[in-house]
Amino acid sequence: MDSLEKVSGASLAELPIGIKAEVTGISPQLRGRKKFADAGIVPGTRVTVEASAPFGGLIRVRMLDTSMALHRDDAAGIMIRELEVAHG
Amino acid sequence: MAENILTSPAYRSKFRVALAGNPNCGKTCIFNSLTGARQHVGNYPGVTVESKSGSFTLNDMEIELIDLPGVYSLSSSSPEEAVVFRELTKAGIDLVINVIDSTIPQRSLYLTTQLAELHIPMMLAFNMSDDARKKGLQFDIKKLETYFGSPIVQTVGNTVSGVKVLKDKLAEELKHLDDHGVPMLSYGADFDEAINAVASRIDELDVARFRHIPARFFAIKLLEKDTCVMQIDEFKPAWSEVDEQILHLREKHAIEADTFMADRRYAMLAGACRDAISSTQEKRREISDRIDLVMTNKFLGFPLFLAIMYVTFWFTFTCADPLMGYIEEFFGWLGESVGSVWGEETLPFIRSMVIDGIISGVGGVIVFLPNILFLFFAIAILEESGYMSRAAFVMDGVMRRFGLQGKSFVPLVLGFGCTVPAIMATRTIESERDRKITILVLPLMSCGARLPIYALIIPAFFAAKYQAFTMWLIYLIGVLIALIGARLMKSTLFKGDGEVYLMELPPYRMPTFKSLMFHMWDRGRMYLQKAGTIILGTSILLFICNTYPEKQNFSRDYDTMIETAGEDAEAVTALENEKQAEVMEYTISGRVGKTLEPLFKPIGFDWKITTATIGALAAKEVFVAQMGILYSEGEADEESDGLRAKLRQNYSPLQAFCIMLFCLLSIPCLATLAIIRRELNSWKMAFVEAGGLFALAYIVTFVVYQLGTLLNIGTRMLG
Repeated sequence: MDSLEKVSGASLAELPIGIKAEVTGISPQLRGRKKFADAGIVPGTRVTVEASAPFGGLIRVRMLDTSMALHRDDAAGIMIRELEVAHG
Repeated sequence: MAENILTSPAYRSKFRVALAGNPNCGKTCIFNSLTGARQHVGNYPGVTVESKSGSFTLNDMEIELIDLPGVYSLSSSSPEEAVVFRELTKAGIDLVINVIDSTIPQRSLYLTTQLAELHIPMMLAFNMSDDARKKGLQFDIKKLETYFGSPIVQTVGNTVSGVKVLKDKLAEELKHLDDHGVPMLSYGADFDEAINAVASRIDELDVARFRHIPARFFAIKLLEKDTCVMQIDEFKPAWSEVDEQILHLREKHAIEADTFMADRRYAMLAGACRDAISSTQEKRREISDRIDLVMTNKFLGFPLFLAIMYVTFWFTFTCADPLMGYIEEFFGWLGESVGSVWGEETLPFIRSMVIDGIISGVGGVIVFLPNILFLFFAIAILEESGYMSRAAFVMDGVMRRFGLQGKSFVPLVLGFGCTVPAIMATRTIESERDRKITILVLPLMSCGARLPIYALIIPAFFAAKYQAFTMWLIYLIGVLIALIGARLMKSTLFKGDGEVYLMELPPYRMPTFKSLMFHMWDRGRMYLQKAGTIILGTSILLFICNTYPEKQNFSRDYDTMIETAGEDAEAVTALENEKQAEVMEYTISGRVGKTLEPLFKPIGFDWKITTATIGALAAKEVFVAQMGILYSEGEADEESDGLRAKLRQNYSPLQAFCIMLFCLLSIPCLATLAIIRRELNSWKMAFVEAGGLFALAYIVTFVVYQLGTLLNIGTRMLG
């Protein structure tokens, strides 16, 4: 489990398409934190951005073997750490 | 369970079983397989969440099956979750069948961890087990059963044999409900300690209505600050303990209260899955992903979406066309046959009510049944294949600018066909607020029933080269006002943050023909019900209003005058029309129209149009029929040149445009209002909607008519 202080740095919104990453925390300011946590966005979950929607707004993220669509604004409140490619 | 002692399961024959699971886990498929046609669909009180229950017999046991809405968690992040929470914490459910999408066990079992805490006897149905096998997943069923304290069956929801195992196991389980297993879920030492501390406080409180649920369940929910549980007043005395424990956990683990339980559950699951599930290969979604590379592509996604919508419409309207012809012919034949068998002398009033009122009124609506069925067949394909969620993904950016969202788009487009099924299609929108706004603006999308009105009026008043443009303009006005309305509602009535948007894009699946037919019929049936009730009723009512009271004394002696006119066909027709007009003015419709005329004069309507717009409340196409009757054209339809000529004599193009504008914007048909009431679960909203649209139509038409008159635009016939 990561500490609250470490919730800083890169967010899911900035993660380039196709790069594997790991959730490190959810910003305390993120609206609907519980909903995201229930959907599996908790520290340690692997995430990959699959695509971004036309006309902006939504991105689709692969996690726990499912594809979820969420807003880029909300994704900015989800902190991640890029994983080494070799790490897989 | 204590209350079961008196009615020991061994002697019972009636059981209530609930189906719970994630969205897209194949729950509905299992529900349909188990209950067949014996279903009841309604709404949960106070919310727009659909409630579905059905019944079936299993080895002499009568089982009521409740299909709970699909949810990811038992929190209260959405109306659906709140409903599931409420239903499951109520006493009286004997067993829960938790349907798991076994191709994604780790996500699906998240809900299971919470259901298990409820301590209601539970069975797990590892559904889509064929897909899971293809994906190379292998389950240690024994281990998982021990872990969750519940028996597991592996099912394939869309086949008969795949559900049989579930039935057999269910029959067995219902015989010994009292000895069900105990889950072995541990949140970790510190957390369990906190949970136990809160649980013992709850036990002390001894809340009668929740005595059948372990305190541990509520303790966990209180610790994660679940809104539903926080609202239960009886637990308030335990709050200080809860806060103390949260503070303690936060200090030790540096994680926020509202997410730490989720965090722990996923950690538990990761452990369990590592232990009991093995995977031999990685790629299952490969095909699905490859399709999505194109379908949700940043550049191709939108054009493809438009193309798919176009095909849907083409399918709905073009392919249904021949069938509509047959139905029309059938009702024409039926009317004639009844007319020839039933002599004019026997009960003439009832005879003409049946032929002119009921057969033509109800027939005029059933004609659209093929459209409705084809439309719903197409929607079922889009939904079941998984494309609908892609469409929402692609359109979200555009719709959001107008205060709507991606999922609003499809219903809005369907609104061009018929508002009633379009409103039903808004059920796919999870956000309550977005759904409300979509429903409220939907009547502004010009529906198919308004088309006959335009088709009658436009050729009568507008030169050929302007006709298409005028039609397009009318549709465009509707769309623009709908979008502006949505925007305004979002920033005024429904201000504030909506629900957080988080939507699953399930892998593409090939829909089965059986379930497509099932969905099509399920919705088509409602339309038929409407034709059999609302339309039948209003047809009779309108017929009576158009006929009574019968005028006996005329201002002139028409009969003698007609006789004198004799051979002069033109004079005879003119006289007959005048007589007919007097008859009409005398009827209820005529009187109502006359009374309301002063109100409608400022927007360019005379009493005849006024009565026709009132008639259009039953169904928009009644407007044309009513104008036909009033101008004594008898069998009027949109092809009536005689009626067009009369309209030209009596109205200006400006008035004609105002009629169309008013019909477009004003109160939708009663069927639409009824469905709005049902879907929003509020009489008030339905009345506000009717009043609001009337005001909108009146104001817009008033401005157009007065400005037009002032500037002398369209006040005289062109050419």
